[in-house]
Amino acid sequence: MWSVLIVEDDPQARDFFAASVAGCAELALLAGVGTVAEACTWLGRAGQPVDVLLVDLGLPDGSGLQVIREARRLHPECEPLVVSMFGDEDNVLASIEAGALGYIHKDSTPENVASTIVEMKQGASPISPMIARRVLSKYLCLHGAGTPPADAAPPANASALPSAKEQEVLELIARGFSYAEAARLMGVSVHTVRTHIKSLYAKLAVHSKSEAVFEAVRLGLLPGYAGRSEP
Amino acid sequence: MACLPACRRLVLWLMAWLAPWLLVAGSAGAQALSLAQARATVQIGGQEQHLDTTLPYAWDKRHRGARGHAQLEMSFTLDALPDEPWLLYFQRLGNAYEVRLNGALLDRKGDLQDFDGDDFGQVPRLISIPVGMLQAQNTLHVSVRADVARRAGVASPVLGLRDDVLPLYEQEYLQRVTGTRVVVVVSLLVGTLALALWWTQVDPTRGIRRDPLYLYAALAEYAWSLRVGDALLVSSPLSRFWWETFFIESIGVWVGAMLLFSALAAGWPGPAARQRMRVAWWWVLALGAPAAAAAQSGRLWVLTAWYALIGLVAVPFIVAYCGAALRRGHAMHRLVALALLLNALVGVHDWLVFRVQVTLGGNTLLRYSSLVFNAVLAYIVLMRFREASAQVRVLISTMGQRIAAREEELRASYERVEQLAREQARESERTRILRDLHDGVGAHISAAMRQLQSGKASSADVLQTLRDSLDQLKLSIDAMHLPDGDVTGLLANLRYRLEPRLSAVGIDLAWDVDLLSPVRRLDAVAMRHLQFMVLESLSNVLQHARASRLRVEAKLRGQAAVIRIEDNGIGFDVVAASHRGLRTLRERAKAIGAILDIRSGDQGSVVEIVVPF
Repeated sequence: MWSVLIVEDDPQARDFFAASVAGCAELALLAGVGTVAEACTWLGRAGQPVDVLLVDLGLPDGSGLQVIREARRLHPECEPLVVSMFGDEDNVLASIEAGALGYIHKDSTPENVASTIVEMKQGASPISPMIARRVLSKYLCLHGAGTPPADAAPPANASALPSAKEQEVLELIARGFSYAEAARLMGVSVHTVRTHIKSLYAKLAVHSKSEAVFEAVRLGLLPGYAGRSEP
Repeated sequence: MACLPACRRLVLWLMAWLAPWLLVAGSAGAQALSLAQARATVQIGGQEQHLDTTLPYAWDKRHRGARGHAQLEMSFTLDALPDEPWLLYFQRLGNAYEVRLNGALLDRKGDLQDFDGDDFGQVPRLISIPVGMLQAQNTLHVSVRADVARRAGVASPVLGLRDDVLPLYEQEYLQRVTGTRVVVVVSLLVGTLALALWWTQVDPTRGIRRDPLYLYAALAEYAWSLRVGDALLVSSPLSRFWWETFFIESIGVWVGAMLLFSALAAGWPGPAARQRMRVAWWWVLALGAPAAAAAQSGRLWVLTAWYALIGLVAVPFIVAYCGAALRRGHAMHRLVALALLLNALVGVHDWLVFRVQVTLGGNTLLRYSSLVFNAVLAYIVLMRFREASAQVRVLISTMGQRIAAREEELRASYERVEQLAREQARESERTRILRDLHDGVGAHISAAMRQLQSGKASSADVLQTLRDSLDQLKLSIDAMHLPDGDVTGLLANLRYRLEPRLSAVGIDLAWDVDLLSPVRRLDAVAMRHLQFMVLESLSNVLQHARASRLRVEAKLRGQAAVIRIEDNGIGFDVVAASHRGLRTLRERAKAIGAILDIRSGDQGSVVEIVVPF
């Protein structure tokens, strides 16, 4: 039984998601709120575990990204899912970097909503070919052709880079293969493919943090870090 | 203007420094013995004449236009005989001479018989008298050769101890020889500088036009150094006749060049008057040579008349020039007028001293006062340089402003063009989206409405139509997000969107899509066309083919990306013109420059879209 907090300002959509969660035996609805402030209040409530956060990005008093970060900070075990419109891969990517581990389309069926949440808790994060190629091109940009110059290297968190296997999964998804096909082509189980994807999600979040640190050091905001970058 | 007080200070300082040096010339050694009386024997053309005379004996004054020899005999007694050597000093002695004391030869310079030969009278003479030569009763014999109009003669000899006589000699030497050397060197240097300026300062915008100001300055300086430097030459480079002619002409050159220089420097008088001046100058120069020749053949008045002619041209000019400078002249005009006036006054002084009095010693002051013109020339050059620099500064700043204005214009026009391009792009984008919405979502919604209105369709049918409509919308948006020419991304995305339909049909899908490099020439519109073509082909299979297997391939073949959609369904009539979907496929293929190959039979159909790079 996983507790779910829904943050969605559109009452109709909120009710739809609430109904979807309520209709699933493995999920328990914690609350459905409509603003960043309310969400943060809920998250700050002590002794109240939040397993799943279902959050819309466009909220009246701020961005859902704030809620995602707050959730990750206060509840490391919490897995945020972002409610996405089709065609806004940029926002999905931003959410993943903020700590989201999946996304749900607004036009999904109720069963889809529930199954996506449950699958995510069981270790499967969805990824569309569009997002896969976004992630790929981002890594290619950052670490591909030109590795960053040695003297400007951020505190290289090797685990924040995708492994060769993870990159292979990304490439196959970007070419349109299903998880099953990708697993067969790689000679691994579907479960492994899913694990790769979920770990990619986590790495994107870590990576975005180390990127932020790197930027901060570069801009001289964190002078103490400059020395630590020495090997 | 700030430099004028500085100039004034400099002039005052120079005068203070020069004054004692020039004034001391008159004083004589107090302890020395000066001989002023002589018995002379003069020989002119075989005629011999004896007379008592006073010294100095200026030949030109006593024997105008003649040449000959003079022997002077001077007696003097000494109370006590000196026990150290004495010095004998002549301010002038020549043109050639022989000096004997008590019959013994003291000094001899030049050939006494060679008339118009080397001239040794140009420099003061100092002769040493050894101890023992002087007696109580002494006779000094001086013989000279005197050429016509060469300032020949014998100055009053001065005898005495070294300390009494040497200063007199050194004083005279400094003024006549060293001073002259300085003037010659300065004049040659300035002249060369002026010539270099004349040669190099070309105005290229008006053809090769050199500034005659510098040329006149150079001519004046060269003529003057020649005129003054003659005093340093014992033997002439040419014969006496030609050298004299040359030498006299150089005076004409100097005066004319200096006056024209002054006129140009002040811009007064105007060009027409300057042209007349030049003509007059040529005439003066043309008459100079005959005048010199006549003077050397004894008719000295011709040369005097020529000098008068120069004076007739120069003096009124200088008077008018100074008058104009006083009335309305600018600073430069007045400065040059001052220099001219100074030189004219010094010239008159020299003329009085040398032509009217005919002294044997001293030297013209004009050689020094003429140096003022060097200062004027330097001032002109400096001013011009300053003006030119100022002009360049103005030019540079104007050019900077112009460039800035031009850049501003360019930027504005670039912005206008950008604006237009943006508007155009927006317009075509809008048109495309509208057409997309109309053909895609719009058509589906219309269909759903018709289904609802007819009342025949089930709600599942209507839901399906609406789902299709949403799919269309998603695909439209995806096509916008895809990078240009990303065929692989397009196929992957299409599969992702169609996944629910594919799994609903339960068809066995074989997916074989390679990672193809982008076909850069395909823009957003072309990508949309391609998406439609693939979607249409897949829809045909799903809706009509009744196939159990579907194979989608994307491969690189030669210089083209090849998309192949193959099924094992019932096939269709490829040539049927009525098949609207097929016609649209062909049109879109044509629009994006792709080759469409459709084959269909009982065993299934193959649609191949070949997109050349």
